[in-house]
Amino acid sequence: MHSIAVENVFKDFRIYARPQDRLLELLLRKPRHRDFHVLQDISFNVLEGKSLGIIGDNGAGKSTLMKLLVGTLQPTRGSVDIRGQVAALLELGAGFHPEFSGRRNIYLNASLLGVPDDDIEALENDIIAFSELEDFIDQPVKTYSSGMYVRLAFSIATMVRPDVLVIDEALAVGDIAFQKKCVQRMNEFRKQQKSMVFCSHSMYHVQELCDTALWLEKGRIREIGPSEDIVARYEDYCNSRRVYTTGEAHANEHANDKVLAGDAAEAPAVKDCRIIHTVMRDVDGNEIREVEPLQEVILELKAEVQNDAAHCYFGFALMQDLEEIVSSYLATDRPDVENGPFKKGEIITVQVRLSAMTLRVGKFHVLGGVADDSGLLWYETRLSKEITIKPNKGLGPYVMPSTWDVVRDMSNTEDQSSSS
Amino acid sequence: MQLNLLSQWALSPVRHFRLFYQFVRQEFSGQFAGSLGGFLWLFVTPIVNIIIYSFVFSVVFRAPIPENFGDVSFVIFLMIGYLPWFAFADAMGRASGLLLEKAPLITKVKFPVQLIPMVGTLVPYLVHGIAFFVFLVYLAFNGYVQVTWLWLPVALGLQFLFTMGLVAILSAFCVFLRDIQQLVALMLTAWFFMTPIIYPLSLLPEAVRPFMLMNPMHSFVQFYREAILLGEFSLPHFEIMTVSALISFFIGGWLFMRIKHAFGDVL
Repeated sequence: MHSIAVENVFKDFRIYARPQDRLLELLLRKPRHRDFHVLQDISFNVLEGKSLGIIGDNGAGKSTLMKLLVGTLQPTRGSVDIRGQVAALLELGAGFHPEFSGRRNIYLNASLLGVPDDDIEALENDIIAFSELEDFIDQPVKTYSSGMYVRLAFSIATMVRPDVLVIDEALAVGDIAFQKKCVQRMNEFRKQQKSMVFCSHSMYHVQELCDTALWLEKGRIREIGPSEDIVARYEDYCNSRRVYTTGEAHANEHANDKVLAGDAAEAPAVKDCRIIHTVMRDVDGNEIREVEPLQEVILELKAEVQNDAAHCYFGFALMQDLEEIVSSYLATDRPDVENGPFKKGEIITVQVRLSAMTLRVGKFHVLGGVADDSGLLWYETRLSKEITIKPNKGLGPYVMPSTWDVVRDMSNTEDQSSSS
Repeated sequence: MQLNLLSQWALSPVRHFRLFYQFVRQEFSGQFAGSLGGFLWLFVTPIVNIIIYSFVFSVVFRAPIPENFGDVSFVIFLMIGYLPWFAFADAMGRASGLLLEKAPLITKVKFPVQLIPMVGTLVPYLVHGIAFFVFLVYLAFNGYVQVTWLWLPVALGLQFLFTMGLVAILSAFCVFLRDIQQLVALMLTAWFFMTPIIYPLSLLPEAVRPFMLMNPMHSFVQFYREAILLGEFSLPHFEIMTVSALISFFIGGWLFMRIKHAFGDVL
């Protein structure tokens, strides 16, 4: 059973030369506009209990698509069919009245989502507890910070238990601790067979929270598929484009650093080096996504050099939850590692061999990075796919390479005295 | 299809009662949130206005005691017309900004938007209804009570429907044409002076009086005066009131419902 079905949806925005033309057209039904195609031929389904991530550049039509799903915009052609109750977080506290307390706003917001008052009373305490705003809930929301706003809005939208949750970039505001709570809650949500549509620039969240990802480009679906694949391809695309298309704009900033050798037409790329991939391999050279404790592994980074005579420092880090560095390996600390000058077009493969994986539980990513010749500015980083540590016996987060000895000394025992 | 739109319009406060109630509560107390005087302003504003008008008209201009209404002071005569007008003008004056103020809500949350002009009309009527009620209590203590007072809630209800239709049209048009905001203020001033509120109808030249029948607010004001002061039920006025209220309510509602789907594109 699908809970969201979008079929051949087109959305045009009408551009009017004069504001009154819009009104005249509505009343007289005679066209007076130019069309701007925001979305073209969008079709997808979201099954019950599944989640969809929408990614794409600014202006690709993500917000418009979200508004169509919520129903505040009507498609020009095609159909949007949503089963069940929708709760949306398209803007932080869109329904909040700034003069009223958080508590009053809970009631107003929940009635906007269609929840009866009695149910809101039952949920009120849960909402307040989840938002961690106990001390401020009776203050007017105009005194809230934007982080507090989003906490309250998110708590309300998820507590009212909608069948479909539509979230636009809302996680970006809360602090990291609250973001974690949100992610947990959204995962619970999926377990309850509810559907979710999530639009974000945080590729990590899309990858972690969504089964499927939809990549919008200029109003069309460029790709739709398993979120990990789509995110990886989108990141590839972003990385390559960042260098080639925005390169010139930024080139001026770096112009002082380099002496242009006569040929002004060929402006140097901003980044000396572009990372192609970061992976983890076993000792046989196979890429791995699962690792056993104490296994010997290789961290690999492949990069393409974009400028001649480039000096680059490479580095790796193992990251948990994408913010916590577990351990790091930096070429800047190692004078023996080659750091250039490299030639333009050269492909460099950097490998760091870790003789034993001492993490015992959990998941992590490998972060590969390139720094400039000062070794301070890490201008490009690239995450590997998520790597899981295989389940194993033991306690605690770490395991060290270990050897055992049992030494027996019997010189003081009674046995010995009796026998001699 | 068209009937469906109309029933959606007319029934929405019942169907979405919870939300309607929350909106009304929010708007009503929102008017006083953060202000020191709070509910006091409800009474202060009309009283001050009444004092100004009665000073100007009974002291400066020495307006005559209105004909045909017995021995009644000018201030009472004025207030009976002025208080219901104030509710009407307040609702109309806010109408143009109603949807623009709620733009973030309308574009981000799906809900019955038609509740907004309804709430926007109801709240001024509640606010000024209180003042009108207090005034009636004052009149009752001065021995003006009549059986025809029972018609007052009906008449006020009709005036409310009449206003709501106009507010719906104005608020919806303002989304597309912001100039309406300025226009409404001008129009209200003109309408105020074209309605016999601060002057009795008898001051108008005979030739002009029939044209007043085209002004529904005139019928409302006259109906209130005759019902309150004379104990008379005026059928012609009541007919005009009923017809104009129904026309305004349904045409306004129909127009609003027909163009509301486009709000998201413009706001």
